Amino acid sequence: MAIEIENLSKEFSQPKNKKKILKVLDNISLKIKDGEFIAFFGPNGCGKTTLLNILSGIDKSTSGTILINKKKPEESKAGFVFQNYNESMLPWRTIEGNISLALEVQGIEGTKKQEIINHLLKKVGLFEHKDKFFYELSGGMKQLTAICRAFAYNPDLLLLDEPFSSLDYSTSRKMGLELLDIWKENKKTTLFISHDVDEAVFLADKVVVLSNRPAKIKGIVEVKLPRPRKLDVLSSKEFFETRNKILRLFEYEK
Amino acid sequence: MKNKKIYYFIVPLIIIIIWAILSNLKIISPLFLSTPQAVFLEIIRLFSSGEIINDILFTLYRTFIGFLIACIIGIPIGLLMGYYDKIYHSLEFIVEFFRSIPATALFPLFILSFGIGDSSKIALTAWAAGLILIINSMYGVHLGKELRIKSAKTMKISGFNLFKKIIFPEALPQIFSGMRIAISLSLVIVIVTEMFIGTNFGLGHRIINAQLVYRISEMYATILITGILGFLINKGFILVEKKIVHWRGK
Repeated sequence: MAIEIENLSKEFSQPKNKKKILKVLDNISLKIKDGEFIAFFGPNGCGKTTLLNILSGIDKSTSGTILINKKKPEESKAGFVFQNYNESMLPWRTIEGNISLALEVQGIEGTKKQEIINHLLKKVGLFEHKDKFFYELSGGMKQLTAICRAFAYNPDLLLLDEPFSSLDYSTSRKMGLELLDIWKENKKTTLFISHDVDEAVFLADKVVVLSNRPAKIKGIVEVKLPRPRKLDVLSSKEFFETRNKILRLFEYEK
Repeated sequence: MKNKKIYYFIVPLIIIIIWAILSNLKIISPLFLSTPQAVFLEIIRLFSSGEIINDILFTLYRTFIGFLIACIIGIPIGLLMGYYDKIYHSLEFIVEFFRSIPATALFPLFILSFGIGDSSKIALTAWAAGLILIINSMYGVHLGKELRIKSAKTMKISGFNLFKKIIFPEALPQIFSGMRIAISLSLVIVIVTEMFIGTNFGLGHRIINAQLVYRISEMYATILITGILGFLINKGFILVEKKIVHWRGK
């Protein structure tokens, strides 16, 4: 098992009233296999982002344990892709420079660094833009750069927090394909947060359906669509069946 | 594009025309207002005789040295205040307090401490410009995006690396805004100190001397030259700024 989450709960005390406690995550247990692509699907504000924060080690759980490749979250490497690429990436650096950051922090320099950057950029079709500054790109290309940076960091697990939700429909599907393309080559255990059920089914091996806050696991739906996936999957019968199964689970006992 | 250039000059031209009418028709006494043509001829005389060159050089020298000292001291203090909460809370009151004292009110104190030579002028300039740089560098750090730091922390970037790779470049646009305000203020302080702290050269010195002996054209000519100097410094700085912090607002 790549990731083992056991009885994970998270409570926040309100800044104004310390006694009032806000429960965000409620007793979440989940096992994720090495190289699995998991999507979390749940309502807005249910605590999905808190879950990723805890997995990446920047936030701590109130109770429960998490092991990532047998290590604690703060000892493992998480490649994090945020929804707001404009505020998470570096506008003063070029595309190449942004990806380079993830390699600099690992002490990778020189030709080795250049090879990794060139390989990733060629893979996603951004190589010819590598010397452009970050702000010169379109939204989709910016997020693609963020994904490349996360892969360049060579993480134990990849965390994506609604990465495509500020992009338009067709761009976000295209970016989904690009993501699957890099992921196929370098199967990182991936956790993908989404509030778009189509996107979740299209990308993932399993979709974890979460309840309203405090988030509990309502159920886990396996996606049996074959890989590699192409856009025509979106109109297949299996796709609709899986999608409807998730939505029924989501609506159930609301 | 061509039309916009015309708009750029239209109001200055109107002002000069009004000035020409008021002065040439002696609606305002020549004791207070010279004619534009007299001021223009005076500017040419000041440059062809070369006597103003030294004044310009001395004023520029004091402005830049004062500004430079302000940058060397002010920017690091501001960055530290922005980065470390403890330093911020320790110095916040002091900085806000000194910032509220007009620099010119400290004239006598600076003359007492640094004498009446260049050092007191430069020190006062560095003081006033330095306070502006402290505030702006501090805000530069404070206004940085939380998410950028969080995102760096997910990659275990911390300490000096976090400062060098994320926080400092993020603060740079705001630091440059501060530098632009500070350099303009430096020129202001230098001109005022040249008027009131003894010196033989400097544009401020020439303006006050011309006024004292009623060489009104020379006074206006020097004021105009000072204005043009300030304008050029500001425009030049904006050009440099655009090159260096090209990502501002994007």
